[in-house]
Amino acid sequence: MNPPKRPVLRSRHNALWLAAVPLLFALVFLALPVARLLFEGLWGEPVPGLALADTGPWWRDAHLQWRVGWTLVQALATCVACLVLGLPMAWVLARLDFAGRLWWQRALLLPFVVPTLVAALGVLSLWGPRGWLGEPLAQAGVSLQDGPWLLLLGNLFFNLGLVVRAGSDGLAQVSAQQVALARTLGSTPWRAFWRVEWPVVAPWLASAMCLVFLYCFTGFGLALVLGGQRFATVEVEIYTLIAHELALGPAAALAVAMLALTGGVAWTYAWVERRLANTARITPVERRPLRGAGQWIWALWVLALGIWGLLCGAPLLALLGQGLRAAVWGQGAAVWADPDTWLALRNTLQFTAMALVLATVLGSLQALAGHALRPWPRWALAWRASAYAPLVVSPVALAFGFLLVYPQWLASLPLLVAAYALLAYPFVAKALTAALDALPEHYAQAAATLGARPLRVFWRVTLPMVTLALRRGVAFAAATMLGEFAVSLLLSRPEWLTLSTLIYQRLGRPGAGNLDAALVLSASLMVLALLVFVLIEGRLGSGTSPAASQARRRAAATSPPTPAA
Amino acid sequence: MQRRFLVTGTGLAWLLSSVMLWAAAGQSLAQNPPPNHSPSPTATLLRVMTHSSFELPKPLLAQFEKDAGVKLQLIKGGDAGEMLNKLILSRAAPVADVVFGIDNTLLPRALASGILDTYSGAAAQSKSLAGMAEGAAPQKDLPASTADSGVVGGVVPVTQGFVSLNIDKAWFQKKGLALPQNLQALALPAYRDLLVLPNPATSSPGQAFLLATVAGLGEAAAWDWWAQMRGNGVKVVKGWSEAYYTEFSHNGGTRPMVVSYATSPAAEVFYSKDKLGASPTANLFLPGGVFRQVEGAALLKGATPSARTAGVKFIEFLRSVPVQQALPTSMWMYPVQPGVPLDAVLQHAQAPTHFERLPLQTLSTQAARWQQRWTQVVLK
Repeated sequence: MNPPKRPVLRSRHNALWLAAVPLLFALVFLALPVARLLFEGLWGEPVPGLALADTGPWWRDAHLQWRVGWTLVQALATCVACLVLGLPMAWVLARLDFAGRLWWQRALLLPFVVPTLVAALGVLSLWGPRGWLGEPLAQAGVSLQDGPWLLLLGNLFFNLGLVVRAGSDGLAQVSAQQVALARTLGSTPWRAFWRVEWPVVAPWLASAMCLVFLYCFTGFGLALVLGGQRFATVEVEIYTLIAHELALGPAAALAVAMLALTGGVAWTYAWVERRLANTARITPVERRPLRGAGQWIWALWVLALGIWGLLCGAPLLALLGQGLRAAVWGQGAAVWADPDTWLALRNTLQFTAMALVLATVLGSLQALAGHALRPWPRWALAWRASAYAPLVVSPVALAFGFLLVYPQWLASLPLLVAAYALLAYPFVAKALTAALDALPEHYAQAAATLGARPLRVFWRVTLPMVTLALRRGVAFAAATMLGEFAVSLLLSRPEWLTLSTLIYQRLGRPGAGNLDAALVLSASLMVLALLVFVLIEGRLGSGTSPAASQARRRAAATSPPTPAA
Repeated sequence: MQRRFLVTGTGLAWLLSSVMLWAAAGQSLAQNPPPNHSPSPTATLLRVMTHSSFELPKPLLAQFEKDAGVKLQLIKGGDAGEMLNKLILSRAAPVADVVFGIDNTLLPRALASGILDTYSGAAAQSKSLAGMAEGAAPQKDLPASTADSGVVGGVVPVTQGFVSLNIDKAWFQKKGLALPQNLQALALPAYRDLLVLPNPATSSPGQAFLLATVAGLGEAAAWDWWAQMRGNGVKVVKGWSEAYYTEFSHNGGTRPMVVSYATSPAAEVFYSKDKLGASPTANLFLPGGVFRQVEGAALLKGATPSARTAGVKFIEFLRSVPVQQALPTSMWMYPVQPGVPLDAVLQHAQAPTHFERLPLQTLSTQAARWQQRWTQVVLK
């Protein structure tokens, strides 16, 4: 039973095999193009026909200093706001039992599946100068319009749900016995929270903070629409430098600095996340019914749901409302008679389906390779961090990198599908990695001892236990692909019209008919993203948090799958 | 053990290659539209790079493919400036054979980059209502272009349009505020926080407006004016869509004046459900506030001889009467071919009689510097 050297070697080979495909993919479609562009920017010959005066390196330019500083500040501010607002919400979600709790838990992730442009329109239709709340506020003398507020509200809209989910998953890991013990020994509820619960929840929150920071720091679409000129982010600056000024040198210098910083955060994130894995058995604290709770608890409940409704629920509703208004009273309904709309819908679904297959394979392999790399912690950590590379790399640097490396493929469908998959597979990898971490080893070991071959162990033992997480990751990937941004990375062709390109196209022409059409399309895209998310994730009625699925898995594990003889 | 992983590897390879095949099949399907439109199987493939606003009626394009024996592959490269930059960056391995959408403000950059081929089709000899450059002398190494044809450096004029201020009529009526009579008035307190424009660095109408102010006011006075406008709350947004749809008061914003096109009021009528009798917006032509944009098409270096021939046919097609007649209600630009009747809806948008002009030489040497100076004065 004492495993000698061979299995270790074998395991390393397995990891290498598994890693080969995602590694190759990331090299070909991510590292190479970006490196090529950076090289062009830093050492390439100057582009003819551009006579822009050199403004010097970014750290000496006051304007760019402000950009970098503001980008940091808005990302940090969003993290802090998410923490302060999200923790009480997480507590309400994890510790209270009330009607509609599961629906709320599901709704928390809704903003995340909404395409960026659509989200920006949602935020504007609520907080904008003519929005449901923006207009009364403006009349009262509070203008959100020309400050950083719209961008911050947009950031919160997207990220608050992530933090709440992470916090409530963390709270579900708190041992009921320990809390009870602390209380018996005379701790006040506050003290028990800080001494017993907080240490368990903190790493979960830290992990969510890292993710929120990465999203806000590298934010592009949202900042472009909501940030205005003064409060745009560095990513917008890089976009302007590359796409409009072809100033590759300064852009490359900025991009390298951003990569170093985001790379560091991604590394921290991978490190924190690995520590979250807890395969030990605990009895979670039981939820107490809201009915009959004290008035403070009620107040907290009202506050938590109210703030969430205002920040995350209302923009979605406002957008739906605008879409309905445009369809019923405006000229938006005409959009469904336009053959372009159907072409766009078909393309969107087709590209998403194609890329989803690719993203699922890549994401799964990425996660499995990370799992197989466990005996080498350093490598495993680097590998985990690398999964986030597609999310942090500047999209415009990637787009122009493609132009330099694969000019002949630029208008080809395989490259388009690859670009879609590139931006989506981290979601699959992330969900699966977390599930694999939480997997008790001994089932697989038992199966192997009984003679099952690795592939069979994976198929019969491991896979059934992580299916839920996998479906969730795939659902996320699909929903993000629907509102794709990937298509703008390449040269688009009219016959590849997708829903989001169509929205941009409509917003590019004057006239009420076009605005109404864009609103109807946006609302439809949102509904479509939700539909796909629910269809793939499935099991509407059941809890979908990792903690819940873990509990289910444990219940199922009392009768482990019979290993193959 | 090894065999197992070989099996997994094969399975994966199979899965991935089937996705790629699927994608390739989708692509070939996309390249072969329904049979009634498809040209002969021997049709030359012509790759045409355009800006994202390019649009022509589909039947016209299909007819061209049939008549010319050409298979068109339209590629949209983003905003005009972005599109040109993509062409410049990929000049070693060109991604297209023809480009449409280089305007007179981008012309100096396009010429300097050396990506354009010479043009000697019929359009190089025929009269155009607008030239690609003001005061451009025929250059030595380029084919002689008569002043009439407007062709410069191989770029053939195809459309013209006027960047100007648009106003929200209802807003001004409601407030009882008189319209400003010149740019200087816009800097007065009465017009505080009323104007929005797309950033000249990221939007071609924005850049055209900046050039108009410099040409109309003179450089020194223009920077003074922009500094005053900054103090008077001029708003700058990323592109035309943001300016028009999120800031312009007619569409739910707070600003009743926007930098847009002279045809926009007509488009408002054209895209309204109950065919409005009058446009809700109007042009405001101020001295120093109107610029003529002339967009052209050109052959790109590196095209095969057959693609080159097809490219000439396409550029001539862009200058044909049916296309020129379709321009105003598809791309909302005016034709350059003389004697082409205008769609009736354009009565809601008169073309300006006066606009600012800048010679090519000035544009080549100054435009980039003005751009930087503007950012310094208004944004930093």
